[in-house]
Amino acid sequence: MAKIRGSIVVNIEKCKGCEVCMVSCPTGTIAMAKEVNGKGYNYAYPANPELCIGCANCAMVCPDGVITVYKTKI
Amino acid sequence: MKKELRLMKGNEAVAEAAIRAGADGYFGYPITPQSEILEYLMEANPAKTTGMVVLQAESEVAAINMVYGGAACGKKVMTSSSSPGISLKQEGISYIAGAELPCLIVNVVRGGPGLGTIQPAQSDYFQSVKGGGHGDYHLIVLAPASVQEMADFVDLGFELAFKYRNPVLMLSDGAIGQMMEKVYLSPQKERSTVFPDWATTGKPATRERNIITSLDLDPNGMEMHNHKLQAKYNEIREKEVRYEEFQTEDAEYLLVAYGTSARVSQKAVQLLREQGIKVGLLRPITLFPFPTKRINELAGQVKGILSVEMSAGQMVEDVLLAVNGKVPVKHFGRMGGIVTTPEEVVENLKSKIIGG
Repeated sequence: MAKIRGSIVVNIEKCKGCEVCMVSCPTGTIAMAKEVNGKGYNYAYPANPELCIGCANCAMVCPDGVITVYKTKI
Repeated sequence: MKKELRLMKGNEAVAEAAIRAGADGYFGYPITPQSEILEYLMEANPAKTTGMVVLQAESEVAAINMVYGGAACGKKVMTSSSSPGISLKQEGISYIAGAELPCLIVNVVRGGPGLGTIQPAQSDYFQSVKGGGHGDYHLIVLAPASVQEMADFVDLGFELAFKYRNPVLMLSDGAIGQMMEKVYLSPQKERSTVFPDWATTGKPATRERNIITSLDLDPNGMEMHNHKLQAKYNEIREKEVRYEEFQTEDAEYLLVAYGTSARVSQKAVQLLREQGIKVGLLRPITLFPFPTKRINELAGQVKGILSVEMSAGQMVEDVLLAVNGKVPVKHFGRMGGIVTTPEEVVENLKSKIIGG
């Protein structure tokens, strides 16, 4: 089976910093940024992008549809 | 007519419900975690559909005074903000209460004091039910615990406001305002074209002038006005108490909580019942008037009461007054924007009430 690597894109301005994605990530890819978005929330960002396996757990649990997941075969 | 089902944020539900309730005007100023109300209304642009005015004022102070003006004309007007913004509005709120005008104010509470945080808290209880502004006045305070209730209480709020000519405050919090849940929206109501007889709509030859003011330089007149207000508040205390009970029939211990804390406490009740401890939950829906009578009745049945609130202990004072020394009452809550967990409630009930 081909190995898959993933990559996530976060819509920073829509994120309300609920941290649900961070908890759901099995590889510890996601962390909350020290910086804040326009509303003042610490937004989610891929702190360790190389760990992402493209499982899309984060996108599924995100209550605001903030995260988009891309997958590539390697 | 069938109700429409949608998945919405609490803030969006308030905005949509306001349009559907036939509101005449919304005046607001952005502040996290409440901005979606203004954003949603701006995007929906109800001026084109129902004719509802939506305006971003230059400040919170301007917004509440626009509400004062709109309400004086007998219109269904509302505003919304979060804790620091509501503090700014207090002068206007006191004036509106003094002039006996109906309006709806939504507070999506965040952690304080000062600018505080932008996460959910319930530390505005005193400000909401004990006054907030100056003078002897009360707001009718509704505390929603779900997105559905945030939508429903817009209509209920306007109804109570016009019934008693008194401002109504919806005391929500950052969690309910930001979370998404399914919500049944009521059908579109027409905006009212008839105005109450006290409204300042221009003087026709057939009646005397209507005067809206909160000022009376004659202290005797002002005292009479205060007596009238107090009689109104007593009537509200008598008739408008709303609360919800969860498994209180056979309860030996009682949790009292509103809003987000009530949802957390409901889970705690389930966890405790699994362990064989009979616990019930009383959720006040109106914080003013407070369900004093019912809590006093329940105090005769239970061995102890824990008040759960995301604050340093504000509602617990009203619970203590209601219980009147019958059983021990303690408070538990996290502060500054941290939401309590059901496990923490379980632990604190055991250590503070059952063990203590």
